[in-house]
Amino acid sequence: MTADQIAELRAAVGDDGLITGKSQLQTYECDGLTNFRVLPGAVVLPSTAQQVQAVVRLCARHKIPFVSRGSGTGLSGGALPAAGGIVISLTRMNRILEVDIPNRFVVAEPGVINTHVTQRVASRGYFYAPDPSSQSVCTIGGNVAENSGGAHCLKYGFTVTHVLALEVVLPSGELVQLGSPTLDAPGYDLAGVFVGSEGTLGVATKVTLRIVKRPEVIQTLLAAFDSVQAAAQTVSDIIAAGMLPSALEIMDTLAIQAAEAAVHAHYPVCNGLLLVELDGPCSEVDALMREVRAICSNNGAWEIRVAQSEQERALVWKGRKAAFAAVGRISPNYIVQDGVIPRTALPHLLTEIDRMASAEGLRVANVFHAGDGNLHPLVLYDRSIAGQEEKALDLSYRILRLCVDNGGSITGEHGVGKEKQEALGYMFSEPDLATMQLVRCAFDPESIANPDKVFPRPRLCAEKPGPYTPHPLETAGVAEIF
Amino acid sequence: MCALSAMTLEQGLTQLGSIVGQEHASLCDGRIVAAPGDIRQVAEVLRFAQASGLSVMPSGGGTKLNWGNLVAPGIELSMKRIHALREHAWQDMTCTVDAGLTWTAMQAELAHHGQMVALDPLWPERATVGGIVAANDSGALRLKFGGLRDLIIGMTIVLADGTIAKSGGKVVKNVAGYDLHKLMTGSFGTLGVIAAVNFRLHPVEEHARNWTVTGRDAAIADAAVFAEPLHALMDSQMVPSCVQVRTSKQECALDIRIAAVPECLEENAERIQSIFAQFAVAESDDAVWQARQRLFDMTDAILLKVSALPGELCSLSAELQRWGAAEGADIATAAQATGLMTIALDAAPDAAIALVTHLRKSIAACGGSAVALQLPNALRDKLDVWGMDPGSLPLMREIKRRFDPGRTLNPGRFVGKI
Repeated sequence: MTADQIAELRAAVGDDGLITGKSQLQTYECDGLTNFRVLPGAVVLPSTAQQVQAVVRLCARHKIPFVSRGSGTGLSGGALPAAGGIVISLTRMNRILEVDIPNRFVVAEPGVINTHVTQRVASRGYFYAPDPSSQSVCTIGGNVAENSGGAHCLKYGFTVTHVLALEVVLPSGELVQLGSPTLDAPGYDLAGVFVGSEGTLGVATKVTLRIVKRPEVIQTLLAAFDSVQAAAQTVSDIIAAGMLPSALEIMDTLAIQAAEAAVHAHYPVCNGLLLVELDGPCSEVDALMREVRAICSNNGAWEIRVAQSEQERALVWKGRKAAFAAVGRISPNYIVQDGVIPRTALPHLLTEIDRMASAEGLRVANVFHAGDGNLHPLVLYDRSIAGQEEKALDLSYRILRLCVDNGGSITGEHGVGKEKQEALGYMFSEPDLATMQLVRCAFDPESIANPDKVFPRPRLCAEKPGPYTPHPLETAGVAEIF
Repeated sequence: MCALSAMTLEQGLTQLGSIVGQEHASLCDGRIVAAPGDIRQVAEVLRFAQASGLSVMPSGGGTKLNWGNLVAPGIELSMKRIHALREHAWQDMTCTVDAGLTWTAMQAELAHHGQMVALDPLWPERATVGGIVAANDSGALRLKFGGLRDLIIGMTIVLADGTIAKSGGKVVKNVAGYDLHKLMTGSFGTLGVIAAVNFRLHPVEEHARNWTVTGRDAAIADAAVFAEPLHALMDSQMVPSCVQVRTSKQECALDIRIAAVPECLEENAERIQSIFAQFAVAESDDAVWQARQRLFDMTDAILLKVSALPGELCSLSAELQRWGAAEGADIATAAQATGLMTIALDAAPDAAIALVTHLRKSIAACGGSAVALQLPNALRDKLDVWGMDPGSLPLMREIKRRFDPGRTLNPGRFVGKI
């Protein structure tokens, strides 16, 4: 970046809102996917939407790529900086601006921490439902970018279910309102498209979130099985019985060991641990929980426990939510994947993953949102052993392809980001991707918002879909694909 | 664009007949009606239309063709022959269905395994999946299950240039790529033709009861009396499937539907009695949920889809009735607790325009809107169907330009004459 551009940034966000020193910039060189690292040209910390606008306008004028980010907990490299570009860190925009209980919504700035929304409305008996495992540190803006899920989205839906409206700075620097606190605002559902677009369509500066009444009672059951397959079959049987639990989670032996080592969750030692959470009116939860117990027993559960207190319940979830990080205690390195499959394919997929891992001499720990078929296979490896990281990466990508081959998706909640760009090309055909690009180009014709993410191959907006041909601007040397 | 400058109507008919079969192409009201038999034929029809400069109006059951601005298309692309339930993965609780299948026929198939798409649109016997999605219709069940944007997990579309594209997939949880299906839902066929839709499913509500709340001694004159107990109901830990407030010159009532395991329904009944202790609460049947659709029977009336904040429904309903009484107008409303209201307004033209204009202004402050779904032709020049243009209209126009640069699909029908 030029000195003039730095001066412009300083004018936009002030001295204390600008970072240019190398050691400080390194804080922003990656997100939760740490094996991709790029040093940004500058980091800005705006406090208002107007400051965001000023920065983005500068980017638009000079065609400087920008990447917006919150806490940087993403697991797909979505917040990886563009080389020489600007990182817009939104963590200072962390105010909850409005709470409207009768109409059940909250207006928050993008830097608000996920759990702070629930904390603000809990005393009124409400909560904010999307609960990614990182919810105590991740931000609403990041959740919007990734369309974050969490264990309870089986019943309550994803971030997009809970976003009513957005204030967005477009890549041109213009400020627009998408959606409305009321339903079905006339026009295209641009808020629906923006959520989950991974920062490629603009920067959200205000988010109107739907809040949900806290259920009368929540019951959490743990059931121990001899195999993950038996636990998976139990999940299918629960769903087939017409129930919609708020969460259905499975952990295998390795994941249980890791969680135990990390937080001492007192899980039963078994090959397949099923966690079932039901919520709703007391009498209904009691009746359904009796049914769940029966289904677990029929599938060979040899221990069934129901958390007896809020503390016990919290501990059960602490173990589950700590599972990714906890795997670090049983393996020096690991890769987290995020494939999704139709629920009924679970037993087959798990067997297949096991076979593939054994063939490579690698271990795979499985923690997954079984209710919606969202796998989180953790491929364990040791970087210090020559060739093992490549093997682990290859295995993790092959698992994603297996998910697609079985009618699923490459990502259920982590996003495509930098990590799974090529896999997106395996899941969608060229016409599908070209059509998605039409949206991208309408929002961001210069491709400056989080460029070189999500799509398998960067493409300029004037390009025709089909086999790669250089863009006329490329040939003329006045533009390059970044 | 609908003028057949380069060819006669008959020539166009012959050409389209060669694509879809002569028996599936005909002339009607000055346009060619072509009914392709599969998605490839849809793409061919669109390519032909684009090359010939003919505009296209996709259609299904034809129940909502007068919604939005009127268009005079060169071709009506009927999707009615493409009507299979392609897949019902009942154990995964998902399905893939062609756009031309009627809602009722789809639900009947899904019911074989005790499942449904949890949405109650208008005229389900005639309306097709594609039309319902394109118009983003929804009914009272939206309170519990969400709208189409929450129920659709994937889609196959055909763009104006014949490109066949998919988004989403067959799994409920999926964040891969852009959700084109969200863009298509409610786009009134202006961006592409919806060919097939993947839905997430829910179990059919086997054990449900309905209650209707009315005045204890006399009819309720002012829906505002429901505001407090309605808030108490929505703030309680009951989980109603549907809640609506109905008003007309003659009556004012509040309906509640709750589905639960049988042993819990009585407890819900007691809670409702307690919340509405000052009123008469009686069990009612499923017919009460036809209230919205019955409003469309007032064929001379203006029908409005109003979106307001949920907390304002009762006062808004009451205000409308007061206005109707003062102006000698006949007004009937069915308001869902989600904030979506249907209003039938039978009044003198000037008074009707004044009311709609006032209503739009008063609800705009909180982001509300009032779209005229049914509008006497005499008023179409005097009242914008869609209301005020959204601030993001330039962006919407740009999306239209990218998807359909030749303005082949339903030109002018949508917001801002998109």
